[in-house]
Amino acid sequence: MTHATTALLLTAPIAVPLATSAAYAASGLRGAKARAGVAALAHRTPRRRGAAAPVATLVLRPGGRTDESVHHGSPTGTRGDGPGTATPAGPGTGSVAPPGPGTGPDGSPRPGPGSVTSAWPGPGPDGSAAPERRGAGSVVPPRSGTGRVGVVPPRPRDAPRVARPEAAGAVPRPLTGRLGLVSPFAILTCGAVLACTVPDDGPVTAYGRLLRADALTVWMLLTVGAVACLACAANPAHLAHERTDLPAARRYHLLIHAFLAAMSAAVLAANLGVLWVAIEATTIVTAFLVGHRRTRASVEAAWKYVVICSAGIALAFLGTVLLYYAARQAGIPEAYALDWQILAARADRLDPSVTRLATGLVVLGFGAKAGLAPLHAWLPDAHSQAPAPVSALMSGVLLSVAFAALLRYKVIADAALGAGFTRTLLAGVALATLALAAALLLAQRDCKRMLAYSSMEHMSLIALGAAVGSPLALSAVLLHMAGHGLAKTVAFCASGHIARLCGTTRIGRIRGLLAHAPCLGTAFAAAVIALLGFPPFGLFASELGLFRAGFLSGPRWAVAAALVLMLIAFAALAARTSRMLLGPPPGEDDEEEPVPLGADAAAPLVAGLAACAALGVTTGPLTALLTEAGEIIGGH
Amino acid sequence: MTDSVYTQLLDLACGAFLLAAVVVLWLRQLSSIVEVFALQGVALAAVAALLGLHEGRPGLLAVAAGVGLLRAGVLPRLMLRALTAGTPRRPYPHYQEDVSETRETRPLVNVAASLLSAALLTLLAYAVSRPLVELHPTPATRALPVGLAVVLIGFFTLVTRRRALAQVVGFLLLDNGITATAFLAASGVPLIVELGVSFDVLLAVLVLQILTTRMRAAFGGTGIDDLRELRD
Amino acid sequence: MNGTMTATGTAAVTAQVALVVAGAPLLAGLMRQVRALMEGRAGPGVIQPWRDLRKLLRKEAITPVGTGPAFRTAPLLLVATTAVVAALVPLASTVTPVSGSADLILVVALLGLGTVALALAGLDTGTAFGGMGASREMTVAALVEPTILLAVFALSIPTGSTNLSAIVSGGIHDPVRLASPAGLLATAALAVAVLAETGRLPVDNPATHLELTMVHEAMVLEYAGPDLALVELGSQMRLTVLLGLLASLSAPWGIATTASPAALALALVLLALKVALLGAALAAAEVFWAKLRLFRVPELLAGSFLLALLAVTASYFLTGE
Repeated sequence: MTHATTALLLTAPIAVPLATSAAYAASGLRGAKARAGVAALAHRTPRRRGAAAPVATLVLRPGGRTDESVHHGSPTGTRGDGPGTATPAGPGTGSVAPPGPGTGPDGSPRPGPGSVTSAWPGPGPDGSAAPERRGAGSVVPPRSGTGRVGVVPPRPRDAPRVARPEAAGAVPRPLTGRLGLVSPFAILTCGAVLACTVPDDGPVTAYGRLLRADALTVWMLLTVGAVACLACAANPAHLAHERTDLPAARRYHLLIHAFLAAMSAAVLAANLGVLWVAIEATTIVTAFLVGHRRTRASVEAAWKYVVICSAGIALAFLGTVLLYYAARQAGIPEAYALDWQILAARADRLDPSVTRLATGLVVLGFGAKAGLAPLHAWLPDAHSQAPAPVSALMSGVLLSVAFAALLRYKVIADAALGAGFTRTLLAGVALATLALAAALLLAQRDCKRMLAYSSMEHMSLIALGAAVGSPLALSAVLLHMAGHGLAKTVAFCASGHIARLCGTTRIGRIRGLLAHAPCLGTAFAAAVIALLGFPPFGLFASELGLFRAGFLSGPRWAVAAALVLMLIAFAALAARTSRMLLGPPPGEDDEEEPVPLGADAAAPLVAGLAACAALGVTTGPLTALLTEAGEIIGGH
Repeated sequence: MTDSVYTQLLDLACGAFLLAAVVVLWLRQLSSIVEVFALQGVALAAVAALLGLHEGRPGLLAVAAGVGLLRAGVLPRLMLRALTAGTPRRPYPHYQEDVSETRETRPLVNVAASLLSAALLTLLAYAVSRPLVELHPTPATRALPVGLAVVLIGFFTLVTRRRALAQVVGFLLLDNGITATAFLAASGVPLIVELGVSFDVLLAVLVLQILTTRMRAAFGGTGIDDLRELRD
Repeated sequence: MNGTMTATGTAAVTAQVALVVAGAPLLAGLMRQVRALMEGRAGPGVIQPWRDLRKLLRKEAITPVGTGPAFRTAPLLLVATTAVVAALVPLASTVTPVSGSADLILVVALLGLGTVALALAGLDTGTAFGGMGASREMTVAALVEPTILLAVFALSIPTGSTNLSAIVSGGIHDPVRLASPAGLLATAALAVAVLAETGRLPVDNPATHLELTMVHEAMVLEYAGPDLALVELGSQMRLTVLLGLLASLSAPWGIATTASPAALALALVLLALKVALLGAALAAAEVFWAKLRLFRVPELLAGSFLLALLAVTASYFLTGE
């Protein structure tokens, strides 16, 4: 592999999401300009009681296809859709139909967003985005909308501003369809290419040891890519029902892709300082995603999330600084004193007491980001308040990425201090988290919080696996990360659909999901079954491997205690889920049709479950990668 | 600059650095807290500049200037802006009871107890950092406990203060402490990391500022105690 | 030689005590005068406290019914302890016959003894004000004494001794020590402690008899005549001694370290000047200060305690070997 190819492969997972993010930002700038023009024109037209009427503009593109977007008159994007507006927009016709005198595209030829999209080879702006486009653009009775989760019973509190969810959903469309999937695919592709070469050729570096890919990196990259694909595929269906206005939707996409870039950077960073910067960047980027809905609860969740995670992870930076100090005193030159590979190679020279302090701080700090006790309090709040795809990304991969960072430090600490220190530390943290998660799962009344605590449960299992520390256990840990990411993504996306369908996330109010919405119910049930660790899903294999390794070599008392606690969590999760799934549907009228799950929404769920099941059956061509990754962080 | 003068000045700067953290605990008026925080930024920049002068590294001087600009200029200004955004302009300048958001009226731990806790935390920092000092005793590393003490005091502020802005200051104290530790222990982390960290901190404060505004819109105030929607 | 040394030393001690006893009312008068001038009043003149004392001493001694020996001996104890402190503390000279006993802990204990005697007297009267004042005074004292101990202890670490004379002469020979963080922090803590110990603003307002706020005055409300004169003199002497100690510790220049009479004379003049300057500065500052609410006082004292503790840690760890 040439140097240029390596550089490209290592850069693309960061650069492509960043570019996508920038594309969204740029489209926002253009949109703002257009909005300003519209606002200037609207000045001359009588406005109706200050309510910003959304204005449908249809731009004739050179290709002859229409491109349509709804601009809100006010730049602040009030969500009040004026009744009766935008009706003139014909369903998918190529004609320009300005609905009012002041709403023309004011002559400025807006370059179609396709120009951004077509920069990427392959998926164009048309194709399978078409059904959504049709369903969204046409103003037809809501029921005939294809490609989404059927009917949404309007929640009571939204009643005043319910307009046509269709039109609102159409808003972000120009850029959502395929562009949203480009960056996950880029990450996945780079991961796949690297997966072919790295196990044979060894780790590769680029940009003067700034970026580095070894087997662990590649595995994490694949996990991030796969989960991101699912989450980004679920985005359009999610946004369509959130009644998000255009700027908010654009911001959402912008942040999601910046989030992906930060996670890729965290995975690829060779320098521990850069790794920290990337992980802190994920906190900053996701803050507004958590607070996306701007309700009281989501603002609270965002605040707690930023404060606890930033403060917690600052401790990890303190640990990194102390490690740097120890490394400098051990005679490692400044440029390499934070380089993971060199630190790991020369770790035996580090001062043990300083390294011990540093390791403690790092476990505390990255543990906060990975949802481990004692700084875990942000996790259930943030995961329950974030939009479902974001919850999926955060729970599915962000926790794992933070834990992968912790694993890097563990290698250094083990080499400097022997395995006992991190083993005790991680086992303690894991058991504390597991006990907490099990206790709170027992009393849980909210569906998304339940899934969040289940994430904590799984993260504590992962931490336990890391505490065991043998290559077998660490391979199982990595498999568990991937399996948990996929299954949790499906569960969160399904819970998002459930929340919309039932208008609540309270477990007590959700009944008879299997009868009410069979497809959705089945998907959710399958995801929970996967999370409970049943075959054929990947989590079964990983948990089996983990406990085998634990009883073979690890601290047996911790593994035994974890088994007992897991049983409690298992029972709680199973009982809560069965309450939601089984039983008669809530409505009195029995003749109510079962609600179908649209293909658009179902595809990511099915794909995720299939991938998780495939991982449970065989790791296939990834076996070598997994073994090597396990040996990198576990084998001495 | 002779060694003894350097040691003396470094100790002075570190003393001022620690003192500023303590004074933050002491004060109630949020605007004064932010000002003290700015002074602490100056002390931090002075520490970095002294190290740069002593070791003859112009790069470190530039970093010191950057740190000073960020922590004594930009961040305090951002926080003051968040503060003034929430203070309604009073129509008349006459005295009225201060029920606005500008004071930390009821911290979780009262001020006297906070100060005594800060004393304990300082001792704890000295105890914890003994191995750090022993690894390579120089005038700079002997001052390492100061950095750790500020980290602990920052954490304490974060936990016990009940106003959004006071929590932000707590977070920034924590961060200042870490930066000081980095300077004292190893004359600062590599430049790229330092840049990334500063950028992250700046963004974090911006995010928190915006969240403060949203919190004010959603809750009608910035009291952390109002945040009780989410619990198990 | 040895004889002259002892003679000069004895002279130094006598001169110190005499200067404190004679100068204390003058210092109080000076401070009141500065205050009056800054507030735009004419003021009673510097020697007014002496006139007050003379007037009080001429009156008949009366004690309230039901009070016991605690009440009667308290003024004497106050003056006596303060006089002993004035003799011990190296205000003008570090070489005196008693300088070997000028131990920090002894000095603080003597000051505490005076405080406790007054508080007991306040309790002894059995009135509401006396009890209230005593309890407040004890609250303050409980925080002040450790602060003074810690602050001077911090200053004593570089010297390696808690002997005040050794600390002061160390400060003269090595002035850098005073500008170290430990020195500055300790001086700041000591300053706050002195304010609290002597019942000045912002801890206590010596000019008020408002029952909600008074601390010191509440304890001595029942005194009259010569007893009151002694109490007044005692508290003025405390202020003088503590200001003198503060001056000696933070700006020890001019204090006689040898037994020469000329140096002693110069030291006495400088002492009077330093204390007068400090007092005037304090009085000027008091014009701009408001008294702290009583429940904020512990915060201030806890803060000064923390400063003292930081001073100890700083002097122990920063420069410690």
